[in-house]
Amino acid sequence: MIGVELRKTFGRPRTWTTIAVLNALPVLVAVLLRITDLAPRPGEGPPFLSAVLTNGQLYPLAALAIVLPLFLPIAVAVVSGDAVAGEAQAGTLRYLLARPVGRTRLLVAKLVAVLAFVLVTVVVVAAVGYLVGTLLFDAQPVAAGTSVSGTSLTAEQLAGRTLLAIGYVAVSMLGVAAFGLFFSTLTDSPLAAALGALAVLVTSSLLLTLDAASPIAPYLPTRYWLAFVDLFRDPVLWRDVVRGLALQGVYVGVLLTAAWANFTTKDVTS
Amino acid sequence: MSGHGRARRWAVVAALVAVLLALPALVGALPAEDADVPAAELRAAAVASAGVAFSGYAVSAGGLSLPVSEQLPGVADLLSDRTAMRVWWRGPDEHRVDVVGAAGETGVHTDPGGTWTWEFESATARRDAPAALALPAPPDLVPAALGRRLLSEATDDELSRIGARRVAGRDALGLRLVPAAPAASVARVDVWVDGGTGLPLAVEVVADGATVPALDTRFLDVDLATPPAGVVAFTPPAEARVLPGEDTGGLLREAADRELSPVRLPAELAGLARRAVDGAPATVGLYGSGVTLLAVAPLPGRLAAGLRSTLAAAPGAVRDGSGTRITAGPLGLVLVEPPRSGAYLLVGTVTPDALAEAAATLTGAPS
Repeated sequence: MIGVELRKTFGRPRTWTTIAVLNALPVLVAVLLRITDLAPRPGEGPPFLSAVLTNGQLYPLAALAIVLPLFLPIAVAVVSGDAVAGEAQAGTLRYLLARPVGRTRLLVAKLVAVLAFVLVTVVVVAAVGYLVGTLLFDAQPVAAGTSVSGTSLTAEQLAGRTLLAIGYVAVSMLGVAAFGLFFSTLTDSPLAAALGALAVLVTSSLLLTLDAASPIAPYLPTRYWLAFVDLFRDPVLWRDVVRGLALQGVYVGVLLTAAWANFTTKDVTS
Repeated sequence: MSGHGRARRWAVVAALVAVLLALPALVGALPAEDADVPAAELRAAAVASAGVAFSGYAVSAGGLSLPVSEQLPGVADLLSDRTAMRVWWRGPDEHRVDVVGAAGETGVHTDPGGTWTWEFESATARRDAPAALALPAPPDLVPAALGRRLLSEATDDELSRIGARRVAGRDALGLRLVPAAPAASVARVDVWVDGGTGLPLAVEVVADGATVPALDTRFLDVDLATPPAGVVAFTPPAEARVLPGEDTGGLLREAADRELSPVRLPAELAGLARRAVDGAPATVGLYGSGVTLLAVAPLPGRLAAGLRSTLAAAPGAVRDGSGTRITAGPLGLVLVEPPRSGAYLLVGTVTPDALAEAAATLTGAPS
């Protein structure tokens, strides 16, 4: 079941088109930086972008930071919103459920496929970022770099923390995926499900800018998205990273339970 | 499937959500254990806590919007914004305070010889010698340091106990300071002190007539283990620009030397007695005690001109015969320009009336 769903997701040309489009923006930014040599001042623009001119190995992080606020969540929302509603709209959900498999198992398989998409996307963005960064900018293979706190990080430390950051960004997207999947069980329209998940994200991002919303800020799904920067402080500031992981876990748990409650008892007519 | 099963499934979801929503409230409602410690004893323990080693994460929120964001951006941000700080404290002259921003940080590393200030945003490291007079910096807002400073000159009759509260997961005993000086603009200072070590864990400063604190700084996490020396020490990285230190005292002396006939500072201003400050030039005067302080400092001409136009444009500024005056929470600021003399800046935690009286005394005008 899971294998079938994975093959379905990655067998579609549109999955790979989405990933390719996602990579276009960081590549464009890298080319522009290379041509103009105009890096944003440190502390402005996406995190780490200011540092890539001197160390191209940081470009995977800058690439993730570029797609993290908007592009990546849109892609995840579209794919996850399509998971169940897409089958319903295509009229294939009925046949899918006619097979002797439980609806819970179908839901789990869909979730695994969406998670795999998130992971592959994040890794591809980071890998393309690394290629672009080392090709276009000076790489510093020996003296790896400076942490946000002004201490030196060895190449191994930098690589390890970059891997952690890639993992963290992937986990941050799980909440979006869970919203998309839940909405996908509510409606037969994949577009409505994806837009629903995006509406949640826009609401969350907007509320985070308001002081009046600060009492609920720690519970907003996008609150800890930028915490991957904390992995590059010295010592690492785990506080927000841990909270971010826990928060995504809570959203995934609650929304999947809700999706299960809705989907296993839903009248499937299409 | 039956409607019964559906209802049961949604009940599971509702129960899960209810439990998750109730968790933060339950944790927040954990009772704090009060101890029968008199206020004077608690103050003594807090003031003596500079040697307690710890590391922690603190957040300070300021509501003081001073119109000095152009001249002193660091100070303006510090007093008006939410500042998240990581603290590693080995002792009074060996500690590190990082101000953590969304995409950067500013670290202040203090050692017995001075301080290193690392700024990630500009990739600069600045070395400052220990100074008697310095602008407010992030380490001053660490609850432990601020609590000690505010309590250092409190008298026993100004202090009272206000129960206990949980701060950073520890039982913190409340200590309230209500300044006795009539000129005081601070209504009260609440300091929450760790019962075991005397470490101030949270500080709230409430201005006269206000309901919300003008300054609220508290630890969210605190760990009483001694942090390793390597975390506190700092060596500028190879690619950083190393800047020379700022010389606040030199700036003040320069201003004072330039004026031909400096105003002779009186021994008392607005009912507050003058006090001696080590290392400060004679033209700088500090008056009052405890949390009721008034500082008088000469300003170089170019600074005074800039400040004059900023103050004039600031909302709520009061202009009278003796100068232009503004207040932000408990903090009052007035620029006076006595005849045949340079400009003077008066700033302190005194009431607007006391500030006006002090300005009038300096300019020789009837108050």
